[in-house]
Amino acid sequence: MADDLKVAGFKSSELISSLGAVFESFSPTEKTSQIKKTNGVFEIVVKKPQGPSPAVQEAIWTIDLKKAGKVTKGKAPTGTKADVTITMDDETFVDLASGKLNGQKAFMSGKLKTKGNIMLATKLDGVLKGAKAKL
Amino acid sequence: MSFQSLISGSECTVPANPLSQVLKHTESDRSIQQDRFAGPSSSRLHHLPGTSSSAATGQDIALARQFFEASHGGPAFVPSAIPELSNSQMKDAWIVEQQQHMRVLESTKSQSQWAAEFDGNAQTSLPQQPQSMHSDPQQMPSYMPVGMYGDYMPRNNLFAMGGPPLMQTHTPLIADLGKGKGKSREADFEAAFAQIAASFPSQETTASRIVEVDDGVTDIGDGLKSTTLQDHTTEPDFRRVWDHLQNSDAPPPAEDLEKWATDFQQLMDAQRQELNYGNAMQEAWESGVGDFTDSLGDPPMRFDNDGLPILQEYIFETNNKYLDPSNSTSSPLSDAKALLEQNGALSEASLLLEAAIQKGDLGDGGYEAWILLGETKNMDEHEEAGMRALSEGVKRAEAAGALGAGMMSLAISYTNESMDRACHVMLLRWLRVRFPDFPVSEETVKSMSTHSSWDTHTKITDLFLGVARQQHSEGIVDSDVQIGLGVLYYTHGEYVLAKDCFESALSQRPGDYLLWNRLGSSLSNGNKPEEALGAYREALQIRPTYTRAIYNVGVACLNIGAHKEAAEHFLSALALQEQTSGETSEQLWFTLRRALITMDRADLADHAKRELKGNLDYFRREGFDF
Repeated sequence: MADDLKVAGFKSSELISSLGAVFESFSPTEKTSQIKKTNGVFEIVVKKPQGPSPAVQEAIWTIDLKKAGKVTKGKAPTGTKADVTITMDDETFVDLASGKLNGQKAFMSGKLKTKGNIMLATKLDGVLKGAKAKL
Repeated sequence: MSFQSLISGSECTVPANPLSQVLKHTESDRSIQQDRFAGPSSSRLHHLPGTSSSAATGQDIALARQFFEASHGGPAFVPSAIPELSNSQMKDAWIVEQQQHMRVLESTKSQSQWAAEFDGNAQTSLPQQPQSMHSDPQQMPSYMPVGMYGDYMPRNNLFAMGGPPLMQTHTPLIADLGKGKGKSREADFEAAFAQIAASFPSQETTASRIVEVDDGVTDIGDGLKSTTLQDHTTEPDFRRVWDHLQNSDAPPPAEDLEKWATDFQQLMDAQRQELNYGNAMQEAWESGVGDFTDSLGDPPMRFDNDGLPILQEYIFETNNKYLDPSNSTSSPLSDAKALLEQNGALSEASLLLEAAIQKGDLGDGGYEAWILLGETKNMDEHEEAGMRALSEGVKRAEAAGALGAGMMSLAISYTNESMDRACHVMLLRWLRVRFPDFPVSEETVKSMSTHSSWDTHTKITDLFLGVARQQHSEGIVDSDVQIGLGVLYYTHGEYVLAKDCFESALSQRPGDYLLWNRLGSSLSNGNKPEEALGAYREALQIRPTYTRAIYNVGVACLNIGAHKEAAEHFLSALALQEQTSGETSEQLWFTLRRALITMDRADLADHAKRELKGNLDYFRREGFDF
């Protein structure tokens, strides 16, 4: 399990670590196909207001679906550059991953902020979707 | 020496006190002062059409005020305005002027009410416009952008984060305006003044002259420059005109007001184009440029000019027993169809179809077999192969002029693989083939291949809704249109709406197992797994070998949290596939692994790989019942 991805206090961290585990379990063919489909490095910045004090805690993960096909904690490792940085609240991330909120709605309501290649942000939905029923 | 002493020094020190000269100057010949430093006074407002050349300084104040309040670039802006006043000494004079401008402004405010009164019969928009023109002249150019920006917000909902940046790019624009006015003021003042003096006989002519100038306005900078050329009246002149107007019988001609209104509109539209942060954002949004063509390492999915992915050739199964001549039947195609009718194994059917294609037995128009193969592959949870086959089939069908055969299935295939934009492109094609009379703008067609999937989604959904409404008014329920709409809602995450669409399609085609599956998926992704299971059961009753439905049942179980059952379902689907053709679906393995990982059985997950043969028995031994 990708325990090293966890960050205490963030609901998103559970989701991200299971996403990381999933990526690890990819067979090489699956990995290449996922990379082909997405072809981008996402930097996810999750903010979480810390209790009564307004100071915001922040956790950063990098989802590399361009070269390595894995999830790492922190900013993009040297050698890769994030194509898009997506900033959102803990709650928003959880909703996105569960499908309650879709990327476009989140963006338009301002819950999701992007910097960089906006087009890639549209693919984040697909990346996060766990088990999705097929049409 | 301090400015104070300069300003308040006694008159008799005139020679030694240049500033007092200046002050006298401002008090007496205010008009020229105004024009030199502050542009046309607000007194000329009533001449103004859409552009508020207005009190340029008044405008500056308002802008400055607004900027200070909004704390956006205020400091950046005001300093740029003040230097335009050519002379720092004039600063105080300027301040004095502003007060006067304010006073003039008051009077014009009352005038604007008058204008509004006169305006009883004009378009409803007019009273607002002259009023806003007159009463808030200086605020208009600045507020308009902000107002427009505000308009953009609800309209496009795109610029949530665009706020601050808008102001910042806004600032240079306004600063430019300030500079522009300064230049024009200083350079053209004499000429303009002469012009105005000559043009000033009647209010109507002045107004229409101004209107003429503004017709050519495409750039607010130019517009303001040009209006300053026209509007150099003096305070005494204002009084004259004011009296003239008050006494004249004619109300300001309605056409003029209308002209002002249209020019206002034009200018605002021009402004909209100019104030392009919003547009820049929109373009960034829509420019599907992205990085589709970046290729580092493995080539990413390539898309052709139409926005459809470029797939590899379909790879036929090499060990296809139906290709064996000794085993061949007369028509593998019809065999395949028969098999499908009888709920035979999907993989068998696909093998038959492959054989048929390879033998040249392609069915109707040379595409039927391909499309059927694609659909079968998809049902059998071999998405990529299915997509390729469908792609081939659709190509041939289009060449044969068939009415959108297979397009819907292909669109669904695209969306299953997260190629949303390709899905939209295909749906649009289907729509145009099926409903050639339904108007689709050229722009929409073009944008399909280049804009982002979020944008294309909106466009295509609107189109489908249009068709659906039209049909509804005619009392038709076209299940295909409903399916298309359902697919669109589904890709957008609007699962409730998708469910409604599929349900209405089902009312037309109750035996369509594909539809049941789709309904189930809409429910499942819409977080109603129990109802989803019900729909899937229906599908499986009609078609027990529907692998995809079994897969979806597994997914629904996962969502409920019944991981073991989920794994069992996946395993049974895999077993089904293995029995018939041996080629198992990667997707099934993958999701099985996820289920196992979620069960914290990573050891089992390691065994859940397609390459490891004979492992299904392994799972049986591990206690999975399938």
